[in-house]
Amino acid sequence: MASTTESPAADVAVDEQLDTDKPWIVLVWNDPINLMSYVAFVLQKLFGYSNEKATELMLDVHHKGRAVVSSGARERAELDVFRLHEHGLWATMQRDT
Amino acid sequence: MGNHATRHMMRRRNSGPFVAQRDGTYVMKLSPDVQALLVHMFGELRDVLTTGDSNEPALQRLFPVAYHLDAESNEEYQRLMRSELVASRLAAISRAVEVIDTAENQSPILTSGDMSQFMQSLNAIRLLLGTMLDVSEDDELNGQNGLEDDDPRLAQHHLYAYLGWLLEASISAQMNRGEIR
Repeated sequence: MASTTESPAADVAVDEQLDTDKPWIVLVWNDPINLMSYVAFVLQKLFGYSNEKATELMLDVHHKGRAVVSSGARERAELDVFRLHEHGLWATMQRDT
Repeated sequence: MGNHATRHMMRRRNSGPFVAQRDGTYVMKLSPDVQALLVHMFGELRDVLTTGDSNEPALQRLFPVAYHLDAESNEEYQRLMRSELVASRLAAISRAVEVIDTAENQSPILTSGDMSQFMQSLNAIRLLLGTMLDVSEDDELNGQNGLEDDDPRLAQHHLYAYLGWLLEASISAQMNRGEIR
């Protein structure tokens, strides 16, 4: 008997397809050691942000505990995380929600 | 994040330890004793990176988690990237030491690239020291961190603060020149 109802497996496949369409985001987290000026400086240097943009992100990190500093494909996000780690910033990545 | 070094910098903006030159380099104006101290600390950092267990709590900030929501992906990332991170840190340390050593007690001259390597190494020492001292954001509000004058940790706190001031000075020198806008 034919049915138009999607199977559970198909649902999962669709969900996964939608999930893989979402970009990855790179977050920098607040920590008590890194200087505020250093965090802003590194964000400008690595991502080419203006002083105003980098300061805004740094203040988000400081006051809100974290900030999204870049987004894109997984490989690009991994590279950004690595560069941030090289500079001593506490950076992680996750799929955007 | 800490901000304690700003007050020191405001007083010393015009007489900082990194003096920009017309050719794009920076002269490091630090006494031979301080240069020797930096070389010593860079050497200790190199030893920790080459012989220490990167899973030790004191080294956590030097090797942060990359995937905080996915342990399996993080394990794979660390397997592939940790050695590269160590190599990058060691290269930065080697260059920072080389710049000071080749100056032979004169004022070392740093290119923009050297400044970057120097800052990364300096910051790595602060991460290590700050983790060992369990530094918190409240510390800068508590004078000498609530420690008594005879507390043996006081010297390490002073060193930590000094390194922060030095890092701030290197940032200030580059910002004033317009290396980063």
